[in-house]
Amino acid sequence: MYRSATVIEVQQVGREYVDLLLREPEIAGTSGPGQFLMVRAWPGVDPMLPRPFDIVQCSPREQTLRLFVKVEGRGTALLKSLAPGSEVKVTGPLGQPVRDFTFSSVAFLVRGAGAAAVVHLAQSCRSRGIEVYSILSATTASRIVCRDYLQPLSTELLIATDDGSQGYGGLATELLDQLLERRTIDRVYTCGSRRFARYVQRLDREGRSAGFVFLEGLMACGLGDCHGCAVRKKDGSGYYLVCRDGPHFPAGEVEL
Amino acid sequence: MIDLSVEIAGVTLPNPVMPASGTYEVDPVHEGFFSPAELGAVINKTIFLNPRAGNPPPRIWETPCGMLNAIGIPSEGLHRFLEEQLPRLRSLGPPVIVSIAGNSLQEWRDLATAIGESGSADMIELDLSCPNLEQGFIWAADRQALSEAVSAVVEATPLPVISKLSPNVRDISEMAVVAEAAGTAVVSMVNSYLGMAIDVETRRPALGNITGGLTGPAIRPLAVHSVFSTFQKIRVPIIGIGGIATWKDAVEFLLAGASAVAVGTQNFVNPLAMREVIRGIAGYAEKSGFSSVRELIGLAQERHEP
Repeated sequence: MYRSATVIEVQQVGREYVDLLLREPEIAGTSGPGQFLMVRAWPGVDPMLPRPFDIVQCSPREQTLRLFVKVEGRGTALLKSLAPGSEVKVTGPLGQPVRDFTFSSVAFLVRGAGAAAVVHLAQSCRSRGIEVYSILSATTASRIVCRDYLQPLSTELLIATDDGSQGYGGLATELLDQLLERRTIDRVYTCGSRRFARYVQRLDREGRSAGFVFLEGLMACGLGDCHGCAVRKKDGSGYYLVCRDGPHFPAGEVEL
Repeated sequence: MIDLSVEIAGVTLPNPVMPASGTYEVDPVHEGFFSPAELGAVINKTIFLNPRAGNPPPRIWETPCGMLNAIGIPSEGLHRFLEEQLPRLRSLGPPVIVSIAGNSLQEWRDLATAIGESGSADMIELDLSCPNLEQGFIWAADRQALSEAVSAVVEATPLPVISKLSPNVRDISEMAVVAEAAGTAVVSMVNSYLGMAIDVETRRPALGNITGGLTGPAIRPLAVHSVFSTFQKIRVPIIGIGGIATWKDAVEFLLAGASAVAVGTQNFVNPLAMREVIRGIAGYAEKSGFSSVRELIGLAQERHEP
């Protein structure tokens, strides 16, 4: 669907992030965990392309969609400057929703704003009685985001920062290792770090947990038209498109 | 009620707006935005004889009012196209244009013959101008190669042939004359402009292929000039392409001399773009007192005093 959505709330989070709440009933009513939106918050052709964002939360009842944006360039700066009541163009929901919930425990290993990709999925897991473990990682405390959303969904939530300013002062993958030694985790989803993605790929290969990776890609449309967001298939038979085939993939199927 | 239909090479299009090859997939997602039956024509992403994977990422890069792409035309190959995609295109209603690209004269012939024999195409467009292929060869940038490819296809099929020309030449209107002499029934212009961008963070070319094709409104004045300067040199009709984002842009191409237009990059930005362009052209023509959109074609030429 391609719709005008109304900005309900624009909340600045630290210096680098914006938490954006939109109202659009039809997309809010049909979005599944793991899906994303293309958003355009300006008229005309500069910036040219819409931007992809994970749907952090969606509430069919409130008709709202929550996005979490890392402000990096012109497009995201324009999103940050939106006033409540303004209209943005949104296309979605896009990508494949997670449909298979035949597992009983899951860990989310996320880096920085990569946390935004897994909140909706964590909610879906939790509501099905699946045990959720969240491991949030960042360079420093101010880049640990979406904690408030993941905390109430998690049996356990662990934090690691590179500089030790919050939680464990070391590698988040060590926290995941310790968790896997303590108990069985059926699935691990990761987002926001290539190093994490490769690590989860290894866990998957070694049979320690079923690994899944959320990937990003430079994409113009989000619809499978532009073929920009290609990611190489592990079996060498060509490319997946992050927008159409993903954005999440079984870790063993993609070349990282 | 305005008559939106136009005729190119004996094929009547219900309106002059179609997608540019490779920018609009016909699938349930897109049919959810608007019905492809509303389009003036439908066209596939260019097919090659054999399957191709496309270029390594990054494949796209945003630029001011446009984008660079180096997709490299991933293709399922002719066989699967004939089995799966072509019947779907045929079932939609509008005239079907099949975009093909050969790596040799024999491939051009084989593709054209197969498409002609399928009975499911109304026209064939020759992608003679993609700047992103590994051989780096642009057929439409070489007079002899262009002439030979067009002739080979014209001999291989009775279907009307559209030659998609490259702006990466000294004078695109001269290449249109070459294509016409070789028997093309239509020319489409322009394909993308060869360009590149460098990522200052990584200090490397931004695209995996290093170079790419520039598209979007940034190229529109260049493309309008191409159509305008070609119109008087050839008798065959022109399909205008290059940075059309709104109906006004499309009307500009019609006035410059295009008989139909294709919308490309804007399909990525606004999934309803083509429908809005069709309705906008109708509104403009009606408001301006025309009874047929055909009356607009080349009007800017007549007011041009040399």
